[in-house]
Formats: sequence, C-alpha cells, structure tokens
Amino acid sequence: MTTTITNNGNQIIAAFAGRLDTAAAVQTAEDIKPLLEVSGKEIILDCTELEYISSSGLRIFLTVRKDAAAHGCKVIVRNINADIRQVFVMTGFVSLFEIQ
Amino acid sequence: MDLHTEMILAEYDAKLPLVERLQKVVKSTLTDAIDRNGLVVTAVKTRLKTRDSLEGKLALKGNKYHSLSDITDILGARVITFYTDDVDRIAAMAEKLFDIDWENSVDKRRLHDTDSFGYNSLHYICRLPKSVIDDPELNDIRFELQLRTTLQHAWASINHDIGYKTGVEIPREYLRQINRLAGILEMADDEFSRIRTEITDYRRRVHQLVQNGQLSEVQLDGDTFSSYLKARPFDSLNRRIAAINQAEIQEVPLTNYLGVFKAFGCNTLGDIDQLKKRYAEDAYTLARHQLGNTDLDIISSSVGIQNICIVCILAQGGGKIGLIRLFNALNGENEQNSLLADLTYEQAKNLPFMSK
Repeated sequence: MTTTITNNGNQIIAAFAGRLDTAAAVQTAEDIKPLLEVSGKEIILDCTELEYISSSGLRIFLTVRKDAAAHGCKVIVRNINADIRQVFVMTGFVSLFEIQ
Repeated sequence: MDLHTEMILAEYDAKLPLVERLQKVVKSTLTDAIDRNGLVVTAVKTRLKTRDSLEGKLALKGNKYHSLSDITDILGARVITFYTDDVDRIAAMAEKLFDIDWENSVDKRRLHDTDSFGYNSLHYICRLPKSVIDDPELNDIRFELQLRTTLQHAWASINHDIGYKTGVEIPREYLRQINRLAGILEMADDEFSRIRTEITDYRRRVHQLVQNGQLSEVQLDGDTFSSYLKARPFDSLNRRIAAINQAEIQEVPLTNYLGVFKAFGCNTLGDIDQLKKRYAEDAYTLARHQLGNTDLDIISSSVGIQNICIVCILAQGGGKIGLIRLFNALNGENEQNSLLADLTYEQAKNLPFMSK
C-alpha cells in the first residue's frame, strides 16, 4: 500500500495504491498527515489504484473529511472502483463525500 | 484658547494613557458579557475623544465643565444590536456590569413627544465597579455607553453626516424629511422585532407538535425538517443496522434529504413519518443483505434514511432512474451516480420489497 501526496496549485492530491486494510492503515494514517495541515484547498483522494478499503481505511478518509471541514477545505474522492463504491453505499459514506 | 480650556486639555494629555487602559477593559468586559449571555449583536465599538474634538467641545460649552472628570464621553462605548428588544437586554446586562450614574443617563427613545421622531438611543453614564477591576484610578473615570439598533445607528450616522459634516445649517424642510425617515425606521425596527418573535413562537409550536407526535399537522420546510431531525427519528433504524456488524455510527447532517422527501411528494412531517414506518423494515433488510457478509464496522448516521429512500424508490417502481435522481439530489449531478444506482439496484433486485 502506498500513498503519494502532490501539491497542484489549489489542490492537494493524495493518490492511494494497493489495499487499504487494517494492516496498512497505521502507515497510511501517517502518510496522509500533510492533508491535515492544509487550509482553503481542495483535497483530492485519488483512488484510481486503490483496490480495497476496510473500515480502518474509511476511518482515515473520515479523519481527512473532518479536518478539511474545520479548515475550510473540500474533499473529493476520485475514481473509486466498483467494490469500493459498494462499500461507500452500504455504509452511507456516499453522502459524506463528493465522489467523482 | 483660554486658560480654562488649556488646563482641561493638559489634564486630557496626562490622563490619556489611563483612559486608553479603561477603553480596553470596557471593550473586553462588554464583549465577554454579551457572549456569556448568548446575545448576538452587530457591533461593539469603543472610541476615545480626540484632542481636537475635545477642544471643539470646550469652545462651544467650556463653561459647563470645571475639570476633565465633568466630561463623561472622553471614552465612548457603543453596542449596536439587530433588534429593539436586544437594546433593553443589553441595558439590563450593563446595569449589572457597571455602576450607572442614573442622574446623567438618558433614554433618548423616551424623550420624543408623541408627534416627533428623531434620534433614538439609550445613553448610560457608567463607571467600572471594583468587581470588574479593582483599580481606584480606573474605577473613578466615567464613560458613556450608547445602546441602539442597527437602523437607529444608520439613521444617526447619516443624520450626523448630513447635519454636521457640512457645517451648513439645514433648511427646515430637509430636517423634516430626515426626521420623517426616523419614524419609518422606528416602524421597521418594531416590525423586525415582531417578526422575530413570531418566528420564535412558530418554531416553539412546531417543536411542540413534533414532541407530541402530531406530525401530520406540520408543513414540511427547512425549519420544520430540522426540528423533526432533532427528535432523531432514524436513530432506532441506524442502531439496528449498526448491530449487524457491531459498527460504530458516525454522525452526519441529514438536512440534504429535505429535497428528496419533497420530490417524493411529502407535504408534512407526517408524510415522512409514514414513509419511515412503511419502509423501515425493508431498509433494514437491505442493510443486512449489504453489510451482513462484510466486516465493515463503521457506518454513517445517514444509512437508515438513505436506505428508506432507496427502498421507497424501488418498491414504487422507480428503478435505476429513480436511484440516479436520488444520488443526484444528495451528491450533485455526477457520472458516478449512474454507477452507484446500477450497483444499488443489483444489490436490491432480489429482495422481497421489489416484488410487493
């Protein structure tokens, strides 16, 4: 599981690749810390290469969302696959994020 | 400049640092008390009379003042409220906060004859009591506190700009026109207060009806829907769904479902409650079918209401198109919504409510 963070003007993009399961969650929580420090930007959670997300992964996304709201940032989840889309619908997370 | 004026100006120069200290204490005392009392105001302002302004005042009415302490507006504080009722609330608050010099305080709102209109403000001459700050030098200085509404402030500011700034005496007909406006603004102030009171009464009535379960008597709008949600009508369903995987529930706002229920043709809160009663069991079945073979142990508090809406659409034959409209309403129009609808339809298509 890897997380790559890039700044792109008014956007900060976190690109996830691999399986965001309980085992990977500790390292990912560490990797996304730069997202928690931004304000006034659009945060893109790019899931193009993300294969799977567990509850631990959802909690990480939730942390980003809560922190972003406090800092006036918008969070967009981009390119989720069918399995992850299913997880978002089942848990009601679909109405928490803008999904593109 | 006469000797008397020079003496008072010298006293002003000497005491200025002290009055500046008083200014800070007065402003923070007022601001803290307003916050503590849960009052919302337009502004809390303080200003120190400038040396030039004091000199001008002394030139006009110097004989009236023996020393600087006779001039009560070297420090002026002003609280501008939204509503007339709040002027009285802030006044009551100020009476508890400060020592009021009643002899020199004046309620200009009460000074007008029944057939005259004009400047409306409540002026208190105050001192800081020892309970606020124990400093004999600060406790001794009087300052003026003006309380007025935003509209009274607007009128007073414009009147000051027109009447004083130009330095030219205004003809009577224009003065009459300005004062006429004060009457209109007084009416507007009263109307705003009345409307606020009526809205508060309305909310109280709605809250009562919701509490009593008389939901069919409450028209559906943003305000009433918020009241309904405060009663947490979907908690029981959410808890059942959470129990499937012993999941934690993350609280999220549900107000974005108002448009969905309106699109369903709900006109009252009772209509929503009917939908809830009718489809809650099927919404739970859908959740159990979706979550039962996963280890997902986190859900959002929107899952119950979301599933009720999904079931309502599918049970009434709305199909994938209906689901796309639902996701469009909740998430904004987006290509992903079509995929979400396909997926949800596939998950639900064999469940019992589809064949009802």
